[in-house]
Amino acid sequence: MIAVLTRRSFLTGLLLFGLIVVAAMLAGWIAPFDPVKNNYRYRLGAPNDIFLVGTDRFGRDVLSRMLYGARVSLRIGLAVAVLSGVAGALAGLAAGWWSRADPWLMRVMDGLMAFPGLLLAIALAATLGPSEITVVVALTVAYTPRTARVMRGAVLVARAQDYVEAARAVGARTGRLLRHHVLPACAAPLVVQQTYVFAIAILAEAVLSFVGVGPPPPQPTLGSIIADGRDAMVEAPWITLAPGVAIAMLVLGLNLLGDGLRDALDPRMRRML
Amino acid sequence: MFRLAAIRLLAAVPVLMVVSLVSFGLTLLVPGDMAAEMAGPSATAADLARIRGELGLDRPPLVRMASWYSGLLHGDLGRSVLLNQGVTEAILERLPVTLSLTCLALGLACLAGIPAGLVAAAKARRWPDQAAMGAALVGLSLPDFWLGLVLIWVLGVKLNLMPTGGYVALSADAVGWLRSITLPAGALALTQLGPIARMTRSAALEVADSDFIRTARAKGLTEPRVYARHVLSGALVPILTVVGIGFGLSLGGALVIEQVFSLPGVGRLVIGAVLRRDWPVIQGGLLLTALVFVMVNLIVDLLYLWVDPRLRSNA
Repeated sequence: MIAVLTRRSFLTGLLLFGLIVVAAMLAGWIAPFDPVKNNYRYRLGAPNDIFLVGTDRFGRDVLSRMLYGARVSLRIGLAVAVLSGVAGALAGLAAGWWSRADPWLMRVMDGLMAFPGLLLAIALAATLGPSEITVVVALTVAYTPRTARVMRGAVLVARAQDYVEAARAVGARTGRLLRHHVLPACAAPLVVQQTYVFAIAILAEAVLSFVGVGPPPPQPTLGSIIADGRDAMVEAPWITLAPGVAIAMLVLGLNLLGDGLRDALDPRMRRML
Repeated sequence: MFRLAAIRLLAAVPVLMVVSLVSFGLTLLVPGDMAAEMAGPSATAADLARIRGELGLDRPPLVRMASWYSGLLHGDLGRSVLLNQGVTEAILERLPVTLSLTCLALGLACLAGIPAGLVAAAKARRWPDQAAMGAALVGLSLPDFWLGLVLIWVLGVKLNLMPTGGYVALSADAVGWLRSITLPAGALALTQLGPIARMTRSAALEVADSDFIRTARAKGLTEPRVYARHVLSGALVPILTVVGIGFGLSLGGALVIEQVFSLPGVGRLVIGAVLRRDWPVIQGGLLLTALVFVMVNLIVDLLYLWVDPRLRSNA
């Protein structure tokens, strides 16, 4: 396990993800300018030693907007990973443990999974009205079914293990069986899956902001900065390019972390490396 | 075989029921007055009454639901308030653009991803493996709509090689069509080939240990032939699974990337409708894209039988 977690790819992931998380958390201290203050004298300015990543069409500092925007993107990604993790774990546990609930729950999940996740999230976010919470709710609904599937699979494997049968034979009740024997066995796949959901949610949030159903302006998110920069792509490409690179770093970092965790937690996968 | 196809078809029924319930139920979640939101601030009382009538908002939700479902069974998804056109017609008109974009992107992703995965498996843990898997991982971490914008900027604006947007119908001009759809399909394919390459690699590694691969080597086949023919056909089922999932993801991505390249597809229609609160179009778009996805899954299920004869005897 230690060997996997000190591998170069895992450490690269940690570095990429950690770098942006730290920068976003320190946004209040390290951002050189106010992210929402207009300054028309410097509009569409190229990157220079005052505005490191240039300015946008309102003369706002792109770097400062990215730092604050990364905060929102991370907050949304984390919230979606946690909420869809809890909801998916409960649904998957219920479906995997009580075979009577299984067909019903899984049909609902299949139905939700039949929609393109992004379209469902866009429609839900628009329906509920633009806000950060709406985006979190919409993405949680769109991505819970996948987690539920993973969890259900893990529960089905765990409940068939001899040690679970043995615990049942010595008289352990359902609650104890689930808490001490089934859930711990399902924790690893769940954590790995939610790392990927974190990454997917950050990409999806960018799409929602890009098409205009994300958190309302002037609040920056990484996706809304890209959308802002789109019309000025020819004169001021930095507005669009920089936040995309930040998203890619964040998502790549999370994917590397997810791969590393998967390999560390699942010894069978180690052979494949 | 036919029995299995029938079972699969029946299994799609509850899924479609959930899909239609969600598509309809969306409108019940709208906070406040749907008609007022659609009509805008300058609407008169008469406008509001007209929109309410068109959407059936003057009737109770259960009645609305019944009439929506009866329309649905006749292939009628209502009328778009803004386009003043039938929703089914409006979507079907634009579906070819979206589907051709999705299929082209997925095809490109397979053409690049499957060989990359096979090479990675054949050279596991050596540099071709690391290069291919690194590239696959970077690809799947990129936001596809952003990649589209970057491609427009580099190839369209800076190098002036490609059109920066717009659509030419295939029936009007095949070369123009290919030029208009290459960049969006390429952007989408770059983000989609990652999962395909990764799955191909791990499935191929699993198969590479099998006895029949040793036999293939023993009878003197060259390594490329062993992989292209025997390992690939043994690994095809999991690859097919991930391609099926990839279709759904590509479809979602295509809906968004149409905005970037101003392609007149379902995505432009539905996302435009989302921003302007044209509910019948949103409902219809959700329903029909889900229907397409369910049908593709059915096809994938049947392809399994074709790909892996072992599954046929169990059926």
